[in-house]
Amino acid sequence: MALPLRPLTRGLASAAKGGHGGAGGPPPQDRRAHPAPSAARTWRLLTFVLALPSVALCTFNSYLHSGHRPRPEFRPYQHLRIRTKPYPWGDGNHTLFHNSHVNPLPTGYEHP
Amino acid sequence: MTHQSHAYHMVKPSPWPLTGALSALLMTSGLAMWFHFHSMTLLTLGLLTNTLTMYQWWRDVTRESTYQGHHTPPVQKGLRYGMILFITSEVFFFAGFFWAFYHSSLAPTPQLGGHWPPTGITPLNPLEVPLLNTSVLLASGVSITWAHHSLMENNRNQTIQALLITILLGLYFTLLQASEYFESPFTISDGIYGSTFFVATGFHGLHVIIGSTFLTICFIRQLMFHFTSKHHFGFEAAAWYWHFVDVVWLFLYVSIYWWGS
Repeated sequence: MALPLRPLTRGLASAAKGGHGGAGGPPPQDRRAHPAPSAARTWRLLTFVLALPSVALCTFNSYLHSGHRPRPEFRPYQHLRIRTKPYPWGDGNHTLFHNSHVNPLPTGYEHP
Repeated sequence: MTHQSHAYHMVKPSPWPLTGALSALLMTSGLAMWFHFHSMTLLTLGLLTNTLTMYQWWRDVTRESTYQGHHTPPVQKGLRYGMILFITSEVFFFAGFFWAFYHSSLAPTPQLGGHWPPTGITPLNPLEVPLLNTSVLLASGVSITWAHHSLMENNRNQTIQALLITILLGLYFTLLQASEYFESPFTISDGIYGSTFFVATGFHGLHVIIGSTFLTICFIRQLMFHFTSKHHFGFEAAAWYWHFVDVVWLFLYVSIYWWGS
């Protein structure tokens, strides 16, 4: 992982085992009022405060950029749309995820 | 009645290795029959027998461990080695495809226009759906860690919740990637760019589906009380595999989507 979370997980991993984890935590007399933070609680926090909001933000960003672009002009390049052998499905000339709006055949786009 | 005086698991005879090998033969010959002779019979038979083998073999592993107690600490240690070695072999599998990508993209041939991306290719914007996909997989790595700690701390409900979130994120990735495949202006037949892109991301997507399936099995087993806070190797193996899938994506994103655009 890119984030330096190793020390955090190590410290809290021992807390998860029930002993006095190296996470620090409150002094003995405070334990009942303030229980030591568990590792699960930390990762749950990270999930709901960092991870899922980032997914939401990226989703929104992708949605904003999702409009249809003008498709590039067709040029019959030799190094693209290669057909050395027909595909074993359909008419053998369409790729598996063929989208006729954006994928031209070797002879050009299928419809205007 | 004889009992063993050691901690190892002497597995009872099983037909599944044989059916697995036969299914592999059917799938490979089936692919050849499909490609060259337009018949899907052998391939279908192969896929069916392969699925049945996996289901029954792993069902038996669960029976031997959870229900019969054969997975003692030394046995579990062997399984850990096994999973680590398997994932290592998968790393090498992907290394080949990255080799192919870098071989072709670091020295683009004159036929491609002498640059990368080649002439006529409009690569996907790495800051749109690919970035979203990255956030989805990283988030799933966080949620699966939450699930693991919850499991170790005996918190049943949170384990279930966190595992569910992880699986849903995996599904979200798969749906996003499928949509990208349909919307992409370039195809697998678009020269070496298309080949390297779709073979590398395609195998990765297959591994996401495999990982999601493994996690779903763990989810069902968790619902059925199979795991304890101290013994849950199936879950750990699934988590390791899932992190591996995440790391492969990060390499794909940086190499193919970002540097390669």
